[in-house]
Amino acid sequence: MAADLNWAIGGEAGDGIDSTGKIFAQALARAGRHVFTSKDFASRIRGGYTAYKIRTSVDDVQSVVDRLDILVALTQRTIDENLDEMHEGSAVIYDGERSWEAEIPEEITAVDVPLKSLAEEAGGAIMRNVVALGAACEITGFDVAYLDEALEKRFGGKGSKIVENNKEAARLGQEYVAEEYDLSHLGYEMETTDADYVLLNGDEAIGMGAIAAGCKFYAGYPITPATAVMEYLTGRIEQFGGHVVQAEDELSAINMALGAARAGARSMTATSGPGIDLMTETFGLIATSETPLVIVDVMRSGPSTGMPTKQEQGDLNMLLYGGHGEIPRFVLAPTTIDECFWKTIEAFNLAETYQTPVYLVGDLAMAVTEQTFPPEAFDMDAVEIDRGKLVDDEEVDEWVDEKGRFRAHANTDDGISPRAIPGTVDGAHMSTGLEHDELGRRTEDTDVRVEQVDKRNRKVETAIEREDWEYREFGDPDADDLVISWGSNEGALVEALDRLEDDGVSVRVLSVPYIFPRPDLTEEIEAANDVIVVECNATGQFANLIEHDALTRVKRINKYTGVRFKADELAAQIQERLAEEVPAQ
Amino acid sequence: MSSDVRFTDFKSDKQPTWCPGCGDFGTMNGMMKALANTGNDPDNTFVVAGIGCSGKIGTYMHSYALHGVHGRALPVGTGVKMARPDIEVMVAGGDGDGYSIGAGHFVHAVRRNVDMSYVVMDNRIYGLTKGQASPTSRSDFETSTTPDGSQQPPVNPLALALASGATFIAQSFASDALRHTEIVEAAIEHDGFGFVNVFSPCVTFNDVDTYDYFRDTLIDLDEEGHDPTDADAAKEVILDADKEYQGIIYQDENSVPYHELHGVTGDMSEVPEGAPEGAMDLVREFY
Ligand SMILES: Cc1ncc(C[n+]2csc(CCOP(=O)(O)OP(=O)(O)O)c2C)c(N)n1
Ligand code: SF4
Repeated sequence: MAADLNWAIGGEAGDGIDSTGKIFAQALARAGRHVFTSKDFASRIRGGYTAYKIRTSVDDVQSVVDRLDILVALTQRTIDENLDEMHEGSAVIYDGERSWEAEIPEEITAVDVPLKSLAEEAGGAIMRNVVALGAACEITGFDVAYLDEALEKRFGGKGSKIVENNKEAARLGQEYVAEEYDLSHLGYEMETTDADYVLLNGDEAIGMGAIAAGCKFYAGYPITPATAVMEYLTGRIEQFGGHVVQAEDELSAINMALGAARAGARSMTATSGPGIDLMTETFGLIATSETPLVIVDVMRSGPSTGMPTKQEQGDLNMLLYGGHGEIPRFVLAPTTIDECFWKTIEAFNLAETYQTPVYLVGDLAMAVTEQTFPPEAFDMDAVEIDRGKLVDDEEVDEWVDEKGRFRAHANTDDGISPRAIPGTVDGAHMSTGLEHDELGRRTEDTDVRVEQVDKRNRKVETAIEREDWEYREFGDPDADDLVISWGSNEGALVEALDRLEDDGVSVRVLSVPYIFPRPDLTEEIEAANDVIVVECNATGQFANLIEHDALTRVKRINKYTGVRFKADELAAQIQERLAEEVPAQ
Repeated sequence: MSSDVRFTDFKSDKQPTWCPGCGDFGTMNGMMKALANTGNDPDNTFVVAGIGCSGKIGTYMHSYALHGVHGRALPVGTGVKMARPDIEVMVAGGDGDGYSIGAGHFVHAVRRNVDMSYVVMDNRIYGLTKGQASPTSRSDFETSTTPDGSQQPPVNPLALALASGATFIAQSFASDALRHTEIVEAAIEHDGFGFVNVFSPCVTFNDVDTYDYFRDTLIDLDEEGHDPTDADAAKEVILDADKEYQGIIYQDENSVPYHELHGVTGDMSEVPEGAPEGAMDLVREFY
């Protein structure tokens, strides 16, 4: 495995940390290097520690590690926060001319660069972070030409003068380090390749998936960390004939999305836990009126307002069971950023095929993390659309009763009724959250009630039989011990396998992207010695499901600090659990 | 088809369960007539209803329709209209549905000026839940939840609409069939949010705001020579707490509906068989 390099920039919120980090990440991607980014941020706009971290390698990288090689520190706190991850070969770039006297341990190489003065020389103090990027290029032997490309992409819209000034700032940073320091002992070498990667985060992948799936209408209300989905769609969906509405609240957002869906549009809303709480009122109506709708929950740390800028996988129970009464639904949980794209498309197809609400669940770690992929990972030619039993003017006739009334909730063998959208001649009908008959008319008739409840639930049964509820498998297929994970833990888990292998431990890993319905893992579990379920919550919500399905006890690894798993940490915990006694049956 | 549509085509075969004499009968008849008179037919009309006696209207009418959850009918109507500017959208509900639980949505639907009509059956009481105070109940009105009178001044829905930037504000009376129909027609034809507050008496739980009360007190703005394009005159009518009016109170002739303002013209119900043309550009953006 080629050496990977871990780079970070940290300072106060408002210091331009994010955009600087992103520029560097894009430069690395341009150079054909894989990139995996992560962010530390506090829930405040100005002030407060914030950092953008990049792990990069010519090999695929899918997780965060406990190691930091190059740190651009704009504040002392940045150094303090990251000290435990630094080692003898680490370097800290800082501005010695600034009022704080940086305290950097002796064994770490201090690279004092007059960031502000050099930026001013290039045309403005605002470019001091770019000076630092130039300095980082010099230390790591990374060709500044790639940085230039990224600067062009970032500032191209602001005119050539700004682009040139930024390039100059980078150059000055690079030259300063070259003249003042000899850092060859650090030994960093940044290989490049011919590959052309795209760099994007989970929220962007969801937005892109929605457009690819033909979604035309989106209504939402801003909330961390789901807002980026709305921001992505705004300005882009219009180019494809769609529209985004920023609603007054989540109740409104989901109801607007519902209206658009009944009007025949592929329609979506996205929010985080607190917003799902509000949307739950309408959730039952969507299912009862048999409306296809995709609802995205980008989870953050709860309950209540919890830790809004921190990660957690705590909403599972709500998505599975939320809402009064019994509500048929699908719950999909992409496990990687590229899967965010594909599962969004699948969510639309499931929603329309089965005329049900579909929850697509991601989390903060995946939403704000950027990762490189070959562009083929998002092959638009491979996108398939299934609109289900949508009937046109002619087909309506097959579905009317003796009086010519459209049977919008016709009781069928597979539980799926025909769907007519406004404008379809003779398809007019009412839908309601009240219990209703085949025509959509309110009823309290006991037989009809049972028939309609069964019909709606039968759609899920049909889907369980018809669709492929697969899982992904990693590690040693013949290993005795099994590790099961859902959602964004996959990357760290896959990398943990390498560490485990080094220690002579082999396990089989199943990563499950479907929560409901979910693949039946009973056989795999029965064949295994130890079973460990990994998730970011305190009570083991997915582990509980697994235990329920397979009628057995499993071991658990739970993390709820607000920070996602790291590969090293997972490897260590898996070894620890394996050493523990098997829980009593 | 629309040329020979009769208003009865908008009637479903479900018999209303409203109390005999309920104002909602008249309100609904006027709505159906107005839809037919404005050249709509059930296949190109979408009716969204709230929850309450009033909300049952979607069941008794025939068209594409959704009977939603309490207070959220306006967002549903907004979604329908944005996706399908070609479809006529009408939203209906009660004063509790629209001005209490749905008050927030009312303000924002008004301000967005979505091209739909909103008919509120204002009986100044909660009918379906059997007679509690509503946001439009008079402050001294005694109900099961306000045995000593509510002690809170009523919401003035017309003022709320005005303050939210309404482009069409009207009031009608369920039992004045001709005027009511005419007013709802104007709301449908208005380019933007056509708001009509309808006095629709609850004969079971409200013995104050009765047919007789409205017949005796109602002043018709047409007879007063009121000019609805005159914003100041409209304000005076709306803030006049001592009198009850019917007619078109305010209409902005320059109103541009939300979808036009935002360049939404197409039918959003069509989806290609694969990713839309040009979708690969979305990936290229991430290079
Ligand atoms: C979330 C929710 N809260 C409460 C109710 C109970 N509820 C049904 S109708 C209604 C009030 C209806 O009053 P109004 O809108 O004035 O309609 P009316 O029945 O008078 O026509 C209430 C509170 C409900 N269905 N849903
Ligand atoms: S309770 Fe009142 S509002 Fe409801 S149907 Fe009877 S009269 Fe009409």
